[in-house]
Amino acid sequence: MNRAIASFLSIMFALSATVHAQGADLQESAQRPDAACAACHGANGNQPVMPETPRLAGQEYAYLVDALTQYRSGARQNPLMSAMAKSLTDAQIHALARYFAAQRGLTVKY
Amino acid sequence: MTRTVRTRQRGCVKPTGLLFGPGISPVAPAVMLGILTLLDASNALATDPVMQPKVDMCQGCHGIPGYRTAYPEVYSVPKLGGQKASYITKSLKDYRSGLRQHATMRSIAAELSDQDIAAIAAYYAGTKVK
Repeated sequence: MNRAIASFLSIMFALSATVHAQGADLQESAQRPDAACAACHGANGNQPVMPETPRLAGQEYAYLVDALTQYRSGARQNPLMSAMAKSLTDAQIHALARYFAAQRGLTVKY
Repeated sequence: MTRTVRTRQRGCVKPTGLLFGPGISPVAPAVMLGILTLLDASNALATDPVMQPKVDMCQGCHGIPGYRTAYPEVYSVPKLGGQKASYITKSLKDYRSGLRQHATMRSIAAELSDQDIAAIAAYYAGTKVK
């Protein structure tokens, strides 16, 4: 249990450093809007590194906007995503959603 | 669905003229019965609730490209094809426990067992049930 907490905290620490570093990038660079996201969701949001992390590539634009907005407001809870979304502006949320929606990945399956 | 398949099957058999020809007609009922029995067996397999994950109730929203729910709120429905199985599992369990909020998804997830959830997650991820 203690090990789980310790590893969680170390992930949080690593990510918070990433968030601060990438937050600046996000504002400065329009080329790689997903830089902060790729640490967990993989390149282009297509190869999540943890089992419970979703693929984002090809996801619906409006769904991604909703998800990030809900994480930012606290309506949807996740320690990592709440921290990531907290500092995002509306414009950044829309830019990220547009980027991931445009990637090749998820499909409508029926 | 069964009716459609049977009609189609009759349509396939009839044009050959063999089964309904004057000389061979006594054989026709037995052959037809055999075909229909086989069809019924395969239909039963396809609709077996144990074999088929409970995805029918997902399809109404998640099976329509670009679909948005209008009730209880306007909400863009996410794509699930190719999504990670463990993420779908987590999402459904979070809806079921109330950790994640969405009226429609909560009421749907409330009906699902752990096995149902695993089967649905595997269906959308395109993997085998773990």
